[in-house]
Amino acid sequence: MGRGQGVLSSPEAQARRRRLRLDFTTPVLLGLPLAWLAVFFLVPIAIVGLYSVGRLSLDPGPHAVTLTAWHEFLHSPIYLKLFWKSVKMSLVVSVVVVALAYPLAYYLALSGTKRKYVLLLLLIAPFLTSYLLRVLAWKVILGNQGVINSFLFSTGLRSPDHPISQLLYSRFAVMLVLGYIWLPFVALPIFVTLESLDRRLFEAATDLGASRWQTFRRVTLPLSLPGVMAAFLFVFIPTLGEFVTPSLVGGASGYMYGNQIVDLFGTGFPDWQTGSVLALFLLGVVALLTIVFSRFLQTREVTAG
Amino acid sequence: MNVALSRRGAWVLRSFFALVVIFLYAPIAILVLFSFNDSQLPSFPLSGFTLHWYHQFLVNADLRSALETSAVVAAISSVGAVLLGVLASIALVRRRFRLKSPVSALLLSPLVIPYVVFGISLLLFFHAAGIPRSVLTVVIGHIVISLPYTILVLMPRLQQIDVSLEEAAYDLGASRLRAFRSVTLPLLLPAVVSAYLIAFTTSFDEYAVASFVVGTRSTFPIFLYSALRFPNQLPQVIAVAVVVISVSLVVVIGAEVGRRVAERRLG
Repeated sequence: MGRGQGVLSSPEAQARRRRLRLDFTTPVLLGLPLAWLAVFFLVPIAIVGLYSVGRLSLDPGPHAVTLTAWHEFLHSPIYLKLFWKSVKMSLVVSVVVVALAYPLAYYLALSGTKRKYVLLLLLIAPFLTSYLLRVLAWKVILGNQGVINSFLFSTGLRSPDHPISQLLYSRFAVMLVLGYIWLPFVALPIFVTLESLDRRLFEAATDLGASRWQTFRRVTLPLSLPGVMAAFLFVFIPTLGEFVTPSLVGGASGYMYGNQIVDLFGTGFPDWQTGSVLALFLLGVVALLTIVFSRFLQTREVTAG
Repeated sequence: MNVALSRRGAWVLRSFFALVVIFLYAPIAILVLFSFNDSQLPSFPLSGFTLHWYHQFLVNADLRSALETSAVVAAISSVGAVLLGVLASIALVRRRFRLKSPVSALLLSPLVIPYVVFGISLLLFFHAAGIPRSVLTVVIGHIVISLPYTILVLMPRLQQIDVSLEEAAYDLGASRLRAFRSVTLPLLLPAVVSAYLIAFTTSFDEYAVASFVVGTRSTFPIFLYSALRFPNQLPQVIAVAVVVISVSLVVVIGAEVGRRVAERRLG
């Protein structure tokens, strides 16, 4: 014991003890999460960058940096057309889904229903169940021998020789399933914005003689636009790079940009360099969208708080 | 009088809400219906009641092993994500430091990265580093994508916990670690549990990233995806779907109710 005290009382030992003691200083707190993201998130993206300029390659040996893959991509009608097709599909899905979700959120936030949180949970619960299984459900419904077609056969509305075959493996199927998957989720940000609006604003508008429709158009809707914008981005960003749903229900006409990326890394004719270019281009577009619109999202937080 | 909605408007919106709920649940109900249907093809007319598909899935060794793998991956990766999430949330809520907004942007950025891009990045990274793909590589990827979700759950709760409680602990001689363990953590526990459950379900259901970095042992979504391509497996897969959807609904609703009750009690 005497020895221990002797060690502890010397000033340099105390300093060492202070250094060794695990305490929640900011570097201790942030070190692990940031290191994890640096190694397993940022470095991997940088490696994609190296592949895209040919610095790294599937072939062994050293390689010179070349921008040919980027050049070819930016001048290739195929890839850019496919990207544009995916943008259009995601836009349609996001706009439709937000338009459907708005009245739902409006009802929950402003109708004065007592069970709004129960109803909200009812709405969101499907989103929290398995993604693939919800796609599976639509495969069962839309197939040539599926629920809709077999129902039409058994009622005699359609002959079994002529099923409605565009239902599955089409652009329509992809957009329907993506809409189905995201609809429960997008109501949430709109609900939160509407819920946080100051009710006195509606009363003021009414007192000033506005009808409900005018109050909605001139007060509620403009004030809830940041939530609408957030909801739109929450759908648009993930659906833009989507590849799982199109590969299951899309067929050839529902093929999206994400599928192209996967195929370039697939076992058929792998072209990691072009694939890396496509992946980084998508990442760049998404990053740009996030940065541009994060300003809107932050101003919402400031005004709401 | 409700200034936002007339009585007729409320009726219209309520009906619309009901229709959307039907649209959302009908496909799930159809899965349930066909999971008991005695036919290889999920189509009308229904041909009789059977528990055959449920039995088949119980004896399907591949499926059971995939479920086990996913459970292990989800259990480990969500512990990792919650641990990192707690550390990061304390720093973001309780500490002042320079570059806070870029740091928080980085911590949340896995939310917006397209999973196809992240999956490929990890694939190329593990390839370049010579790390073979395995259960471990899936765990690594899932920690990254679950981390922002845990932060989003933990931060608001941490903001609600009164700093003066921690300051009182410091005044009584506690180190920051001690104050956290004895004061903050017990108050944060309900949020930690929700964060864990969210990370767990995220990982358990994750296909896109896993599809790039999975080794020879399939996770459950990987198994499902390949089963979806073979129609003869469809009825069994539907039976599994019903079980998994039911369990996840129970967990989700249970977690939400539990969190409410716990937070009400802790104030």
